[in-house]
Amino acid sequence: MKLKEKLTILADAAKYDASCSSSGSTRKNENGIGNASYSGICHSFASDGRCISLLKILLTNCCIFDCKYCLNRKSNNIKRAIFTPEEICTITMNFYRRNYIEGLFLSSGIIKSPDYTMELIIKTISLLRNKYHFNGYIHAKAIPGSSDYLVKKLGKLVDRMSANIELPTESSLKLLAPDKKETNVTTIMKTIKENRNTKFTPAGSSTQMIIGATNESDLDIMSKSSYMYSNYNLKRVFYSAYIPLNNDKLLPTLKTPPLTREHRLYEADWLLRYYNFKVEDILSIDNPNFNLLIDPKSDYALRHLNEFPKEINTASYYDLLKVPGIGITSAKRIIKSRKYFKITFKDLKNMGIVLKRASYFITCNGKYFINKSLFNKEFIENNLVLETHQINKPSITQLSLFNE
Amino acid sequence: MNKMYIYDGTFLNLLSLITFLIKNNIKPTNIVNSNYEPTLLDEIININIVNNPKIINNIKNIWGLEIYKIMLYVYFSEDSYKELIIYYLYLNCLKYKRNTLNMRNLKCVSKSLKIAKYVSNEAHKLKGFVRFKELESKVLYAEISPTNNCLLILSEHFKKRLSHEYWLIKDVKRNMISIYDKKNYYIIPASNLKLNIELNKNELEFADLWCTFYNTIGIKERYNAKLRLNFMPKKYWRYILEMSDENEKSNK
Ligand code: SF4
Repeated sequence: MKLKEKLTILADAAKYDASCSSSGSTRKNENGIGNASYSGICHSFASDGRCISLLKILLTNCCIFDCKYCLNRKSNNIKRAIFTPEEICTITMNFYRRNYIEGLFLSSGIIKSPDYTMELIIKTISLLRNKYHFNGYIHAKAIPGSSDYLVKKLGKLVDRMSANIELPTESSLKLLAPDKKETNVTTIMKTIKENRNTKFTPAGSSTQMIIGATNESDLDIMSKSSYMYSNYNLKRVFYSAYIPLNNDKLLPTLKTPPLTREHRLYEADWLLRYYNFKVEDILSIDNPNFNLLIDPKSDYALRHLNEFPKEINTASYYDLLKVPGIGITSAKRIIKSRKYFKITFKDLKNMGIVLKRASYFITCNGKYFINKSLFNKEFIENNLVLETHQINKPSITQLSLFNE
Repeated sequence: MNKMYIYDGTFLNLLSLITFLIKNNIKPTNIVNSNYEPTLLDEIININIVNNPKIINNIKNIWGLEIYKIMLYVYFSEDSYKELIIYYLYLNCLKYKRNTLNMRNLKCVSKSLKIAKYVSNEAHKLKGFVRFKELESKVLYAEISPTNNCLLILSEHFKKRLSHEYWLIKDVKRNMISIYDKKNYYIIPASNLKLNIELNKNELEFADLWCTFYNTIGIKERYNAKLRLNFMPKKYWRYILEMSDENEKSNK
């Protein structure tokens, strides 16, 4: 088989993995080829608007497992291919020096056994690091069920190692991925957490959940994320809107992937990690799913309108972060600037702070941006919904793939 | 009359002129480089200022690296008042020192920060979008044509990343080229360099593999041309290998 055909098959099989980020590593160029950029670099954007940073491929799409949602499952009759370690090195090195990519993302179907597959992955990556002296970013998937010593070996070679939890509950996993066990994934996460340092997966670990293949609520999903963030120090949880690839009576039939829902999950995930929000703040048993019309932070603000408006010149950092439209950079900028002058609405504009959503929830020196009698739920909600639909571009999702 | 002060187009000369103007209490209408074409209302004043190489270190040491970087990035922009903005920023630095950048209610500060951000965003994008081709001579060669002058920022980046390669980056719009010899880079007018851009025989194979990868990796159920355009504006397509075909098609 020609290299080009292999690449087509094995990139096509890898493309459903949502993780793309190349950030969080401080690998310097010490007499090798390349370095890592801490903030990550997108080298291109695919036709679906997703960032392309890494050469994202599978080592092989052969697999002994039969996960219902997966294109590579053994019961599918598709063309199979396998890269040799040398082939992967040649492509990576040549793409890297032409600045097509930031590095390599290597995953694999399970061939023969988890350990056998892991050894192939390790062989490929040590060749890349030791023979080709590749010093750019590498993200490898650890194969669930492989031996701990192999996980440790791989961890020393890569910037990031991850394992996908795939589905938010054990019962869903049993239903759709009968060969997989959640503990196999969490064991890997534990090993990474315990060993992580500058020489062992410096960019940490991430995981992915498929959204909409099973009937969990957003509350189930966010609770799972929150649990994994706090127990395994994950850098990121990726959410991947389910795309029907196989016909199976166990799988739902969807016309379009639930992209808005995926977007809301990313927004909420962001609130958990950086804005000091708890899952209970944004979802509850009575309110287990996100409002698809407005973002979770605006939704929170509308449900807690008595905490607003916040006074820009006196509100604390965390109170400022509660304001829809005010992010970390803006909040910090406000805190710094107000030491030197009293901030007005005009100053906020000059400071590059976007007021589209924020203006409804703040005052500057006691002044509201319009007649204060309009500060009520109905008025604000209507305006926010209109605002969202005018903007109507899922840019936060994309940004959040990068800024960790 | 508009008092238009002339500098030679270099950053150091600009700073030297600015300190001279401030010392002598002169308020310029604008500061322009020597290519400027005057209108009837302009009075062109050329002081032929002598460069003071100490200025740059003084700025870095007294007001901090960040302020120096902001001034440099504004200089890299194409804003028609960039020199004047730097002049006013400098003036305010004398007053507010290391706190200057916090004074975002001052027009020159908020403008400088905005422009500098625009420049650094574009340079960051280009760190990804630059595409090298391997020439017959094994030298890597790339062409760019950014809105702002990103050549220095990119050279710093690739000096670290591709330290073991010979590479050339040509800014087609400004007709400048950065040459890296595995130790240092030198930015010179492109016309000073005779270039044979015959491609290495492997080149097409890897270019083709990359385009194959690119065309495979997009998910058709998530197709979103608008989102792609947001992140990768069309003005860059011409020099992005995997987009150049589509670019030509859409220009016809
Ligand atoms: S283990 Fe499951 S998800 Fe992974 S490649 Fe095999 S069938 Fe697909």
